[in-house]
Amino acid sequence: MSILLNEVTKYFGRDLVLDNVTDEVPQGSLTALLGPSGSGKSTLLRIVAGLEPLNQGHVELDGHDVTNVPARDRHIGFCFQDYAPFRQMTVFDNVAYGLKVQRLDKARIRKEVDDLLSLVRLESFADRYPRQLSGGQRQRMALARALAIKPEVLLLDEPFAALDAQVRGELRSWVRSLQRELGITTILVTHDQAEAMEIADRLVILNEGRIEQVGTPDSMYDKPANDFVQGFLGPITTLNGVACRPHDIELCEPGQGVTAIVTDIIRLGFEVRVVVRSTNNISSWVQLTHDEAQRLNLMVGESVSLRVRRGSGRNDEAVLLGGAFAVPYDQGEL
Amino acid sequence: MTRSRLILRCVVLFYIAALIGVPLIFVFQQAFLHGFGAFFSALRDPAMDHSILLTALVAVVAVPLNVLFGVGASLWIVRHPSRFTRVLDTVIDVPLAISPIIVGLVLELVYAQGGWFGAALAKLGWQVMFSFPGIVMASIFVSLPLVSRQVIPLLREIGDHQEQTASTLGAGPVRIFFSITLRSITWAAAYGVSLTLARVIGEYGAVLIVSGNIALVTQTLTLNIGANFDNFNNYQGFVGAVLLALSSIVLLLILGVARHRERRRNEYLA
Repeated sequence: MSILLNEVTKYFGRDLVLDNVTDEVPQGSLTALLGPSGSGKSTLLRIVAGLEPLNQGHVELDGHDVTNVPARDRHIGFCFQDYAPFRQMTVFDNVAYGLKVQRLDKARIRKEVDDLLSLVRLESFADRYPRQLSGGQRQRMALARALAIKPEVLLLDEPFAALDAQVRGELRSWVRSLQRELGITTILVTHDQAEAMEIADRLVILNEGRIEQVGTPDSMYDKPANDFVQGFLGPITTLNGVACRPHDIELCEPGQGVTAIVTDIIRLGFEVRVVVRSTNNISSWVQLTHDEAQRLNLMVGESVSLRVRRGSGRNDEAVLLGGAFAVPYDQGEL
Repeated sequence: MTRSRLILRCVVLFYIAALIGVPLIFVFQQAFLHGFGAFFSALRDPAMDHSILLTALVAVVAVPLNVLFGVGASLWIVRHPSRFTRVLDTVIDVPLAISPIIVGLVLELVYAQGGWFGAALAKLGWQVMFSFPGIVMASIFVSLPLVSRQVIPLLREIGDHQEQTASTLGAGPVRIFFSITLRSITWAAAYGVSLTLARVIGEYGAVLIVSGNIALVTQTLTLNIGANFDNFNNYQGFVGAVLLALSSIVLLLILGVARHRERRRNEYLA
């Protein structure tokens, strides 16, 4: 099911939290709504679910205007960041809730819940209460509960934020493969760019209630529409006044790039961060692999020549020219 | 055990014994001074029996009304906050701050024959003051916030995500209330109910004024006990006091269970 957001505007009191947001989420895609906290991404998700009224604009599901359809009639699966487990009910009853609402017969409910529990690998936890589950298990229970009503749209609000790093990684790829398998149109809210890049096939970057850029993770990383998007999607530094990615800078023959002095070398696992200071006293940093750094045998105080790697989506000539004629963002003639 | 802890324990024990233990023992000792036979025949005092019945009736009417009001007001205050509910949230506590005698007097001034509404109500054939409705009104008033004070903080703490999730699963407001909200607040509400019941049964000042304290007509159990002591009928008074004390002990046990359940439920809230 495709989702269309058309000029969605939302105020909380006098605060504008969503300003004319328009986007079309294609059927079967996994879209990540990415933005810093307070950018309005969770509010937008709640608007799609029908949990939050909007001030202007409309929401369409498969071409049907659902702006005034209440949440209970939208048939959309929704998972809160805190998973909102029904605390007084067992895992089984949690997952069965939506099916009981539909007044299905008992045998059928049992069958469907058992199937869902095995899908989320919680078969042996059916009679437990949410308080007896770990964070990751609660999250999977919430997912099974949302999937029980066979929604064609799944909305996940910061689904992995409350989990520890290892569980988070496992669940991420699991959710990704589940989403592919079910082909269910999914929107996921996150403030973690790495998570969004890893899991989503479409990114929507929100900032202060406005969409900054929409696109695939690849295209946005390589061709950010503006400084905000570039800064948000990964580390940036400047070379001769032009923003670029630290791993897109390479060391070259003297005279072919910007001359700088190495001021610090920091080893970060398999990566090495080289901090440099250019002749006009501007600090910058370069990210190298451990192998590269060893081969170059850099020393603090050494003079190096730097340029932006070719084909990194940035006009390296512009960097050499000191940014005076710089086309700050490659407009596609890569 | 350290010395300071020992001292602390002694102080607490002394405090409880002096304020609760000794008076309670005294009441029981006085009531059973003449043996069980005398106690049981004193139970058949018509004025006291009538007052017990009246008190029970008042509780049966006032407690459910206050539970409905308390839960309803709590939901409104927490789930639909507005300027009005902020005022309500404060006003709801007023009965705790006002002396019950004042409550009784104010009700009398408004609803008695010479009061604002009294005459009009009397014309319709409704006598509010010095009769059952007045006692119920006073009882409701003095115990007004006891349910909502238990329920409001819990509702705030559990938030509305469970309810919203239920609505995305297709549940309507009635189903959500009974399957999610009510199940979450049951024990807090039960705690509030026991407090309300204790307050309604034990209320003296407000009821004294609005009821007129007429034996066999508008005398509740607390008023009956008071009247017996006033009339130098001390023995009968102690028998009534024992009944009141017993009802409190039963309520305390219920309270203890409710609180225990509540705490167990809270353990996994975090």
